[in-house]
Amino acid sequence: MSISCMHFSCQLLLLLSFHRHVNTNLSVSENSTFITEPPVETPEPKTPPLAPLTPTQTAQRSVVLTGENHTEKIEVVNPVILNLECVWPGNSKSLPNITGYWTKDGQTIETSYSNIPLENDRYRLIKEFTIMNEEDLGIYSYLFGPKAKVEFILAAPHLGEVRDKPIVSYVGDSVVMLCKMDEKKPQPISWNWYIQNGTNKVQIESDANAHKYKITNEGKKTKLLVYNLTESDSGVYYCGAVYGVATSMGHMQLRVITYYEPLKPFIGILAEVVVLVAVILLYEKTGSRKHGQSGTEENTDQTNNLSHRDNDVAEGHSSTRQRKV
Amino acid sequence: MPPPATSTLGYTPPDGGWGWAVVFAAFISIGFSYAFPKSLTVFFKEIQEYFDVSYSEIAWVSSVMLASMYAAGPISSVLVNRYGSRPVVMVGGLLVGLGMVLASFGTSIIHLYLCVGVIGGFGLAFNLQPALTIIGTYFHIKRPLANGLAMTGSPVVLSTLAPLNQFLFDSFGWRGSFLILGGITLNCCVAGSLMRPVKKTVESKPKEEALEMNRPEEAAPEVSTEGQSCVQRFIDISLFKHRGFLIYLVGNVVMFFGFFAPIVFLAPYAKHQGIDEYSAALLLSIFALVDMFVRPATGFLGNTKRIRPRIQYFFAFAVSFNGVCHLLCPLLPGYAGLVGYAVIFGVAFGMVCALLFETLMDLVGAQRFSSAVGLVTIIECAPVLLGPPIAGAMVDAFGDYKYMYYTCGVLMLLPGIFFFIMHYFNYKKLEEEKRQNNAAVDMRTAEDSELQSQSHKQDLITETEKLKS
Repeated sequence: MSISCMHFSCQLLLLLSFHRHVNTNLSVSENSTFITEPPVETPEPKTPPLAPLTPTQTAQRSVVLTGENHTEKIEVVNPVILNLECVWPGNSKSLPNITGYWTKDGQTIETSYSNIPLENDRYRLIKEFTIMNEEDLGIYSYLFGPKAKVEFILAAPHLGEVRDKPIVSYVGDSVVMLCKMDEKKPQPISWNWYIQNGTNKVQIESDANAHKYKITNEGKKTKLLVYNLTESDSGVYYCGAVYGVATSMGHMQLRVITYYEPLKPFIGILAEVVVLVAVILLYEKTGSRKHGQSGTEENTDQTNNLSHRDNDVAEGHSSTRQRKV
Repeated sequence: MPPPATSTLGYTPPDGGWGWAVVFAAFISIGFSYAFPKSLTVFFKEIQEYFDVSYSEIAWVSSVMLASMYAAGPISSVLVNRYGSRPVVMVGGLLVGLGMVLASFGTSIIHLYLCVGVIGGFGLAFNLQPALTIIGTYFHIKRPLANGLAMTGSPVVLSTLAPLNQFLFDSFGWRGSFLILGGITLNCCVAGSLMRPVKKTVESKPKEEALEMNRPEEAAPEVSTEGQSCVQRFIDISLFKHRGFLIYLVGNVVMFFGFFAPIVFLAPYAKHQGIDEYSAALLLSIFALVDMFVRPATGFLGNTKRIRPRIQYFFAFAVSFNGVCHLLCPLLPGYAGLVGYAVIFGVAFGMVCALLFETLMDLVGAQRFSSAVGLVTIIECAPVLLGPPIAGAMVDAFGDYKYMYYTCGVLMLLPGIFFFIMHYFNYKKLEEEKRQNNAAVDMRTAEDSELQSQSHKQDLITETEKLKS
């Protein structure tokens, strides 16, 4: 117990001496937590830094396993030194020692094997990770032997709803493509747009092609306007929200079609309408001509058409008239 | 008891036969009129981005369309009075089609207001009024059923257009969709071609003469139409002196303030309570489905012997039921409560819609219905348009939906009670007038039969004399 205490306090000392602590706002929710960033300031170190380290935040995330598995989503906005703590409560059958190790994206981190003693009826491990850029993000899992697993999903903030179906527009027309970050998520530093060229993503520079592309950034939203569309403009477009640690990408597909495409169903429907109207009116004309021919001998009416019903009624009335009088 | 149609119409409506084809045609016309403006909301998000306008500006397209549809009511009535239903509906179909096709080439939001809103709205007005009017000419005995069936067009067409519009949007974007929708709305012309003018069979028998004398004040306008003023020939302004019409108008104007807002806010209310978007959308589908079945059922009920003579009370009950439903809504807990509310609201809404125009026909008679509905729609324009925005402002002001529901409940309950009271008096007065007329007829027929029997005796005497000689 005392050894682990010393071990832990050693770690703390190390942390304290090299880095500037910033207490970040951690809101613990079931699924995800944010590490929000106060604006990164240039530090005034009390002791000169030992290495040319850029001043970064420090944060800690702890998970206490209740079952056999747990997954924790962590949104990382800026580079951070992240301490991940895993606690697994033991039971009466627990071994006094257990071997645990870390994996990143399914690959075991060889240097992370360690023996964890059972203290206060639980196994506890804490490890520090330096998350600097996109490669450092991913799924970090800690396995307590073969039995229990804690998963931390480190990612940059995901984009809000992006349309998964293709956006359709017309040759010669313009189109607006929109990407936005959820209201609750932090604002990106900037936005980039890319177009798919073969297997590469080519960044779109709006200044170079001002007559073709226009990018408008409004904080958590970005719009790409493409003018004078041609069929070659069809394809996949990517929008990237640039954060300190990585760029979060979203993609959408643009389809450019000519006016002939909707014109075909339109003409089809037009033909159907004309045919139906003609059929209905012709049916009526032929129907009335038949009635007209048979009705000339009978009593005439206000209209030119007589129906059978009228004939019956007229006959019935004439008979009643006779009866009454 | 409302006067029998044979005396006011001057002919016997077929009550069947081709009438059912006309009901189908009216089903389509009415369906497009009510459902089309609502179904366009699918396109708004993309159009909003394309033209770079705010959501309220784009929502105005629907509002302008609805406003034009109601405001063009009197024009539609005038045209129907003059030319009959068929040409007006066909012109209406062409107008909507033209409006949508022009809108697909639109370059600004104003362009959309004019093409979709004004031209489209006028086209829909030219569909709505004639469709309602022609039912009155083809049906009398089965009229509530015919009306109920025709009004079912609205939820059915809406349920069809909503997924169709989504599909068109995914395949063709908004421009192509507008073009194709222009084609689809041309089917209103097909509906118009089905609206054959009814064959007016005039019966020449003494029984009919007696009936004509029964309603001297009703028959008089028929005779003196030539001598009336220019305006009177086009649209029947004298309706404003008609007791039943005034009751209907006053009640409806108040009612429409609170009629549509609960539907508009059903999904946002559900989301506000923490329900996810799909379940909230499901509430609207449940509502529409219940509405679809309740309308013909209400029409059928309205046709039964017990309810038909007192159909105004049935309508008053439906309106009050709506009011009670809204008052209870905020008290219902959770998603299950909201589903129950959607079902009961669907029933209430369907009942009112099915009877909405049937009661007007019942009050003013089929002949004056065309003018009546034109006047009613232009006056109802204001509450229909103002209702949802005012409700929205209430929600924003209080931050809670329940006050809006309470207000809507009151706005429906008050007209309901108003209808009950006023129609009680109206029915009494109508009975009195009928008794007076019957007395007058009795006197005249008694004189008549005396004269007849005297002449008969005279004939017999002369004949026997002839035989003798």
